[in-house]
Amino acid sequence: MVVTVCMVSDFFYPNMGGVEEHIYNLSQCLMEKGYKVVVITHNYSNNVGVRYLTNLLKVYYIPIKVFYNQCVLPTMISSIPIIRYIFVREQIQIVHGHSAFSALAHEAMLIGNLLGLKTIFTDHSLFGFADASAVITNKFLQITLAGCDHCICVSHIGKENTVLRAGFEKCSQRVSVIPNAVDAIHFMPRPELRSKDKIVIVVVSRLVYRKGVDLLAKIMVEICEKYPQTAFLIAGDGPKRWLLEEVRERKGLQHRITLVGMLQHSEVVHVLNRGHIFLNTSLTEAYCMAIVEAASCGLKVVSTNVGGIPEVLPDDLIYLREPNVSSLIDGLEIAINDLENGKCICPYECNMTIRKLYNWENIAKRTVKVYDSVIITGPTKPIHVQLKRYLSSYVWPFLLVVSLVHLILKLLEIIVPCDSIDKVKNVYNKDLKKTNCT
Amino acid sequence: MSVPIEPDQQPWCRKLYANEGYPDNYTDETFLRELRKNIYFKPVSFKEAIKGASLVINELCTVVLFVLHYTFLYNNWIDPSTVFTYSSSVTFIGYIIYSFKSISINKKTIGHDVRTLLMYIVFGHLFSPVLHTLTDTISTDTIYTMTFFMMLIHLIFFNYGIDGSIVSNGLSISAAIFASICLSSRLASAFEAFVLMTFSTQCFILFPFLKAKVDNLYFITPSLVAFDIVVLWCVSKTMFALFLCSLVLLNGLCPYLFVKYQRHKDNIHGPWDEAVVEDTKQI
Repeated sequence: MVVTVCMVSDFFYPNMGGVEEHIYNLSQCLMEKGYKVVVITHNYSNNVGVRYLTNLLKVYYIPIKVFYNQCVLPTMISSIPIIRYIFVREQIQIVHGHSAFSALAHEAMLIGNLLGLKTIFTDHSLFGFADASAVITNKFLQITLAGCDHCICVSHIGKENTVLRAGFEKCSQRVSVIPNAVDAIHFMPRPELRSKDKIVIVVVSRLVYRKGVDLLAKIMVEICEKYPQTAFLIAGDGPKRWLLEEVRERKGLQHRITLVGMLQHSEVVHVLNRGHIFLNTSLTEAYCMAIVEAASCGLKVVSTNVGGIPEVLPDDLIYLREPNVSSLIDGLEIAINDLENGKCICPYECNMTIRKLYNWENIAKRTVKVYDSVIITGPTKPIHVQLKRYLSSYVWPFLLVVSLVHLILKLLEIIVPCDSIDKVKNVYNKDLKKTNCT
Repeated sequence: MSVPIEPDQQPWCRKLYANEGYPDNYTDETFLRELRKNIYFKPVSFKEAIKGASLVINELCTVVLFVLHYTFLYNNWIDPSTVFTYSSSVTFIGYIIYSFKSISINKKTIGHDVRTLLMYIVFGHLFSPVLHTLTDTISTDTIYTMTFFMMLIHLIFFNYGIDGSIVSNGLSISAAIFASICLSSRLASAFEAFVLMTFSTQCFILFPFLKAKVDNLYFITPSLVAFDIVVLWCVSKTMFALFLCSLVLLNGLCPYLFVKYQRHKDNIHGPWDEAVVEDTKQI
């Protein structure tokens, strides 16, 4: 029997980022394995309705207004009819929500739960516990996770963080660690593009505080003054870009520091291939896709030792340093010296290593294992069991929301019965290829 | 999904690419070993809590003092020029103390201060008729309610000497000045309005400067409290009782509860915390 999976997240193409990449690549690999996958996201300006991406990946851009930071307003009830309709129409069995920031994912998982579908949640980010906003977001996450069947985190540190936030200490076997991967064939090294007389240090990141732009501003000045043979190439845009531009101007380093601005994900590889050293100054990071992409292109990676970064790459591919200026400069100096003394691993060898360590094929295989484990967990739970599960988060008023959603679903069952909804005919990818060939 | 782990297997390590043969939901013994709790926690003693609360009391007393002056002016119990004379004298003494406490005081700053003073008197006199009639048409009940809320805003956003996102000097001063403009419209003449505005400037703008310089505030606060209590007793018994209650609440109950509930503090820290950038102040 074909298992149908529904990926839900506020973040998807044409938006760009780690979550979007993850959903797209995972869906492609699952379809390759014979799963049927649809994606639900909110509309992005022109993208409304149903779209098909590569290999007939079906994407529903549902018409909901964006509220804040590419997220929809979590009304909990207003999008029930359309989400239910899609679930029934596509005969979904597993709802897979992505990212703790995505309100749409939380809503869809609640509806999926009450419709008796299996729900899985992937958490892509780390959170603190100290400030008021973290307390509120963590409570929301705790509510969602109380109802979900299995949770996936992208690193071991992410698992610890999620388990603490969701109060899961007693049942940590419900949380799996499945990392991200990169398309190492796309991120192929091309050493002939590198500059022969200069050492180029590449930075690819959004220019925001969390990515350590303040550190970067100071580091690039000191390195440029100390090593006349170096140059910086910085890709990305964000609210902190003015800082880099101002520092560059004040120190008269326009010819040494290049800011190329926002890039399409497919263009990142061209920037990476022009550099020798990759610098990452993030202050917190669950997995950090950027350093894996850089290592895949054969660059020497210098990075802050925060969050999940020490788990990602083997020690010979990365220089880990503490998140302060002097320590990172020390790391860069060692990397520059190693380069000049010819102490470096062949870029193609780096690429082969990354290809072995992280590939989407393997990630999809491990995700399928999780799907299999939840599919066999018996029949649907009745409403009182569901309510009891949500009660474990100790947010009593939320039970009212759950009950209301349950009632609305019952009402919809009368107004738009399941039988009256047309079911989508399963078109297999592989069959389609065959018909194309003949 | 739980696969039994064979004895000859490699030990589990904290790397995402290793751990062949372990299931993805395997939880190692090292799980949550990096977890730390309350690492920046400094217990506050009851004495310290009361000391902190007395800063709030001090500001509350200043507000009460101001409103008392309004009441006296409104009922013609006191001559406005008397208020002007003694408040100016107290301000002058305060200025001398402030000058002694400041290190970088010289002729230039004194000249600057004198110029500011002259400008205030000239423009204050010029504009007091305008300020006096500005909120004239609004009913007295509305004015009093508005004054209450403005003073509340003043007390909430006042800078008590702690860095917090809620502290906003601009908002706090503006609210207090707006409250005094509201009240001054109820007075009989433009001169009385000018006196009240002057008094509010002294209370809410100049007094905080002096307080920041003087170390032992604990001398000022009791005398302010005593003065307020005596005058309130004469003016209204109800207000006197309410003031006493708020004193007990702010300086007794609140610090007690704060100290008592400290043991419930449960702050979690670990490697997932955002790193703090320290050495980038002077780029």
